[in-house]
Amino acid sequence: MTTAADRRMPASVRMRRALTNGRVTAVLIMLPPALILFTFFVMLPLGESAWFSFFNWNGYGAPSNFVGLENYDRILNHSVFHIAVGNTVKIVVISLIVQMPLAMLLALLIYKKTPTNAVFRLIFFLPYILAEVAAGLIWSFVFDGNYGVTASIAGGLGMGNVFILSDPDWAFAAIMTVIVWKYFGFHMMIYIAALQSVPQDQIEAARIEGARRLQVIRYVQIPAIKPAIVVSAFFAIIGALQVFDVIIPLTNGGPSNQTHTIVTYLYTFGLTRLNIGFGSAVGVILFVGAVTVALFYQRIFMKRAQG
Amino acid sequence: MAEVRLESISKSFGGLTVLPDLDLTVPEGSFTVLVGPSGCGKSTLLRIISGLEMPTAGTVRIGGQDVTFDEPSKRGISMVFQSYALYPHMTVAQNIDFGLRLAKVPAAERQTRVAEAARILALTDYLDRKPSQLSGGQRQRVAIGRSIVRQPKVFLFDEPLSNLDAALRTQMRVELAQLHQSLDATMIYVTHDQVEAMTLADQIVVMNAGRIEQVGAPMDLYDRPQTAFVAGFIGSPKMNLLPGTAIGRDDVATMGIRPEHIAVSDDTGYWPATAQVVETLGADTVVHAHVAGTGDVTVRLPGDRRLRAGETLFLTPERRHLHLFDADGHRMQDPA
Repeated sequence: MTTAADRRMPASVRMRRALTNGRVTAVLIMLPPALILFTFFVMLPLGESAWFSFFNWNGYGAPSNFVGLENYDRILNHSVFHIAVGNTVKIVVISLIVQMPLAMLLALLIYKKTPTNAVFRLIFFLPYILAEVAAGLIWSFVFDGNYGVTASIAGGLGMGNVFILSDPDWAFAAIMTVIVWKYFGFHMMIYIAALQSVPQDQIEAARIEGARRLQVIRYVQIPAIKPAIVVSAFFAIIGALQVFDVIIPLTNGGPSNQTHTIVTYLYTFGLTRLNIGFGSAVGVILFVGAVTVALFYQRIFMKRAQG
Repeated sequence: MAEVRLESISKSFGGLTVLPDLDLTVPEGSFTVLVGPSGCGKSTLLRIISGLEMPTAGTVRIGGQDVTFDEPSKRGISMVFQSYALYPHMTVAQNIDFGLRLAKVPAAERQTRVAEAARILALTDYLDRKPSQLSGGQRQRVAIGRSIVRQPKVFLFDEPLSNLDAALRTQMRVELAQLHQSLDATMIYVTHDQVEAMTLADQIVVMNAGRIEQVGAPMDLYDRPQTAFVAGFIGSPKMNLLPGTAIGRDDVATMGIRPEHIAVSDDTGYWPATAQVVETLGADTVVHAHVAGTGDVTVRLPGDRRLRAGETLFLTPERRHLHLFDADGHRMQDPA
């Protein structure tokens, strides 16, 4: 770290000091491995992907059919892409207004360190541990209109067979239910860790001041864990932009392409149809979107939470 | 301002009994200090008075009313915590008037009360700052300000000065004493520091292993400790506690003599001793000496008395200042 005093030194003194205090040596030794790995496994694929996005290329041989921005033009004018973007936004919104409050509610109920709470924590966290594909398969059985739980409920209510995952109006609602179920435990754990770090004295002081349980939550606990909430929201937004594994076993993007997210759109219209150039363009759009959101979020909310 | 009365209070956590059976009266307007070693139950007792902890049995009365089952906020008490317990996201003013806002006190009255508390505690210039921008002493003052604005019947302090450095602790001690004089309120103060207890209290309650050893005015406890534990706990440097045989009394289990009540001579005295460590404190010189066959003895001498480790001394305990205790540690009749 450069201090104000360091900056006032002449450049030659600064250079000599940096060379002799081991900082430059440490940088020269430790930076290259990380830089090389990052370059080969992140920067180069990203650069290649950006390059491929200007070609009409099926992935075989070298890309030669240069089409300029045509892939981007097709994507931005594709109605399914609009649906995918809309669905991704819906997941973000549901994550923020349903998943996170649910996680907070449960965290407030079970954050205290008791054996019973430990059992509940494990139960609520289990969905998150489960592989996404497995979770998708389990819920596809639950939503099965012939033999699933929904079929039993519909039968019990005297209704006919209900095929939720085949219904364009309800399929994405079902997917969002699974996403909330799958990931609320992760956010709950973040809140539990944060709530456990709120000093008990502050809560007791509030009780003495006359705060009721809800007022303690509102005025003491929630403000105290604000940085954790901001981080949790960040994970929820970035996670929503990446939803893929849960959707494929449930609906595979259907019915009528109504349940695509940006990533399943990329997979379906880019990879499975061997439109690698097209898929790369979707990837570039997704990357730019994710980076923009991350930078924007970090600049505004994370700084505010730290302040 | 109100009297606090504890009747047959006991408290157990699972199978562990922290307070077996305890009665105590804190007079109206007094500054009562609960003092004792770590784990003696003094903080638990304070929490029972505050309502943060329920007694397993017994009754808590504040101002004559049974408040045993009342919520903390309904008891007319306020509490200052060792950690200050300030809300880091609120400003000083918001911290101080938090309770008033919850009680929906009108804004104008809130402002008046906060301004008055800030004036008393010299916090007026800091009302818009966050706790993280304050020093330890200022934070402690904010915590006290939060108590003052609620105008409680009883102030409770749980080791409020423990996190401060020595100089600030002394300063805050004086400020607390002044605060007690100006508010004329009942204050109950927990500490393990007997110097704080002696300087602040008009009533000291010495606790040991969940029981009250002695209740009384500071100098009563100092001059006539009723048990060997109180004798050893109150006073700094602590009282010398030696076997009765050290003064030729086989009927006495333990004899006590304070370091300042031992006469020192270079050529004659009751106990020949060797100075082991000499602490020169300026106003006083404290000598840690060893008396062969009796044990270690601490002696307090005037600051101008110069001694060196290894020197031979003759110590003579002043007979009228001897404290005699029986095998149970209880005070025997005063030596004639």
